Amino acid sequence: MILIMAWRNIWRNKMRSIIIISSIAIGLFAGISVLALYKGMMKSRIHNVIDSEVGHLQIHNINFKKDYDPQFILANGAEVLKVVNKIPEVKLAASRSITMGMLATPTGSAGVQINGIIPGLEYQLSQLQKKIIKGNPFDPAKENEIMVGQKLARKMKLKLRSKLVLTFTDTSGTMVSSAFRVAAIYQSDNAPLDEKNVYVNIDELNVLLGIQNSFHEIVILLKNDTDLAKAKQELQQKFSGYQIESWKEISPETDLLVKTVDQYSYIIMFIIMFALAFGIVNTMLMAILERTREIGMMVALGMNRLKIFLLIFLETIFLTLGGTPLGIFIGWVTTAYFNKHGLNLSGMGREMMSSFGFGTMIYPEFPTDKISGVLLIVIGTALISCLFPAIKALKLQPVEALRR
Amino acid sequence: MDTVIDAHDVSKIYNRETIPVYAVNNVHLHIEKGEFTALVGPSGSGKTTLLNLIGGLDKPDNGNVFINDLDITKLSANELIDFRLKNIGFVFQSFNLIPVLTAKENVEFIMLLQGVKKSIRDARVKQLFRQIEMDDKVDIRPAQLSGGQQQRVAVARALASKPKFVLADEPTANLDSKSASNLLDIMAKLNKEEHITFLFSTHDQRVIERARRVITLVDGRIVSDTAAVSTKHEKVDV
Repeated sequence: MILIMAWRNIWRNKMRSIIIISSIAIGLFAGISVLALYKGMMKSRIHNVIDSEVGHLQIHNINFKKDYDPQFILANGAEVLKVVNKIPEVKLAASRSITMGMLATPTGSAGVQINGIIPGLEYQLSQLQKKIIKGNPFDPAKENEIMVGQKLARKMKLKLRSKLVLTFTDTSGTMVSSAFRVAAIYQSDNAPLDEKNVYVNIDELNVLLGIQNSFHEIVILLKNDTDLAKAKQELQQKFSGYQIESWKEISPETDLLVKTVDQYSYIIMFIIMFALAFGIVNTMLMAILERTREIGMMVALGMNRLKIFLLIFLETIFLTLGGTPLGIFIGWVTTAYFNKHGLNLSGMGREMMSSFGFGTMIYPEFPTDKISGVLLIVIGTALISCLFPAIKALKLQPVEALRR
Repeated sequence: MDTVIDAHDVSKIYNRETIPVYAVNNVHLHIEKGEFTALVGPSGSGKTTLLNLIGGLDKPDNGNVFINDLDITKLSANELIDFRLKNIGFVFQSFNLIPVLTAKENVEFIMLLQGVKKSIRDARVKQLFRQIEMDDKVDIRPAQLSGGQQQRVAVARALASKPKFVLADEPTANLDSKSASNLLDIMAKLNKEEHITFLFSTHDQRVIERARRVITLVDGRIVSDTAAVSTKHEKVDV
């Protein structure tokens, strides 16, 4: 009976109830959209990190990353690479030679990480070819070509075919300099990395470093993200003397960002529902004020305070949950649309987005994993919202209420 | 006869801090089971206040109210709610049906709060609607009923759980003479058939004429009582 009364009570003032139910639906839609956008952005960021920057896993000499000293090559690198390529979870593995050096032009100089790559493999592994915005991939017929990021190119006033000098130490500690010509300017979704990384042919860098066919790094792409832990464990078992790291360890800031954004998204949801709670409280207070005499009469007849509280709580729950399926449905439809067609945020500026490591095209994803949390927030909001009106109703003295 | 209501030296005083007003002043009242009693008097004489005190809706400043030998002035607010649910039927002046419930659901309301089984509820509702001659209006909401019909439903609700007594505060005040007469017939019939005690406040002459006992209140004091029965408490002038 209380359930029926609560349901019928919310429809006594249809317009008021529809307004509050609609505002809850809109609030939930907004909250879910934000969650979906965040989820899409985080997924895009993680895939940028994995597919364009560090891969799923990397293998180094255990001393290499302390100072990026080129003498710490990957011992038996070719053999390790062969074994890695045989692991079923591995989609692709590529070697890189890496050293830190100085890039100099007639107008200035900048510290850079020089990555010696096997072009064909790297184009597949880090999508480097797709990031080229000016110029062409390395030409096998030409020597000493270099690819620089757009941000670095702007900073150093580099253009296509500009000449620059890279200076670094070789494995014996001797300073080595060599001139390169800009073959291409690339732009990734991570501007800070574009400013820091330059790419040259691995064979040319190895000659300068004096490491012949050796290299410093194996970058591994897996077939599935979910295989990360398994593949890492397998590699650790096979190559115990090497440093094997997942993208979460190589790019801890990304992992932290994902976790932080997860928490932020709940905070945003909470703020939206907190704002809506005022609307619910107001509606319920109005309903209680209008029904003072009726509530007094029910108490006079013998309806106890627990049942009065239950009646008001159920009314609040109906009002709140009434908008919930609608809000979730609109959120799902909208998210599904943009998940298919993408949401172009270039209006916010590509540079601004890339400075945070995000692309401008985001594919929001419906936050299925967070819906239970959202529902908990909604029910919590209803519970909190009903407290004040309920206390007001419970304080009513039947004899006074009946006089009104 | 069994005593149902026994009020001892009951007073209710408003504005105690400034100019005290005695809404009810040292009232002694004794009602036996099955009585059909009218509490009469001019406006402001304390009829509603006395009914509220007897019904446990308000607490007296002095005195005690015994219902079946239980002193309800000693009960807490929550105990009073439970007591009212199990012992008292109320009929209010302005109908006071729950607007979102149908006539049948309104009559069932008290029994539902009491946890009465559906089969018993259904039988009782059917019986009451027959008694109030509204068998065809069970599924209609109060807003679609006339004032007289609403008050008949209110009487049926008050009687649904077979309370020890029914308190009716000016039950005919908002009714036309035909509806009032009809309601009184029904109340008298139910009083007779169900042996339920009725105590109602009124200043409606038609109601007074139908009452078997008339108690007159003036300025919060009982000034006459047609019962002229002596009780173990103070006997009032007739």
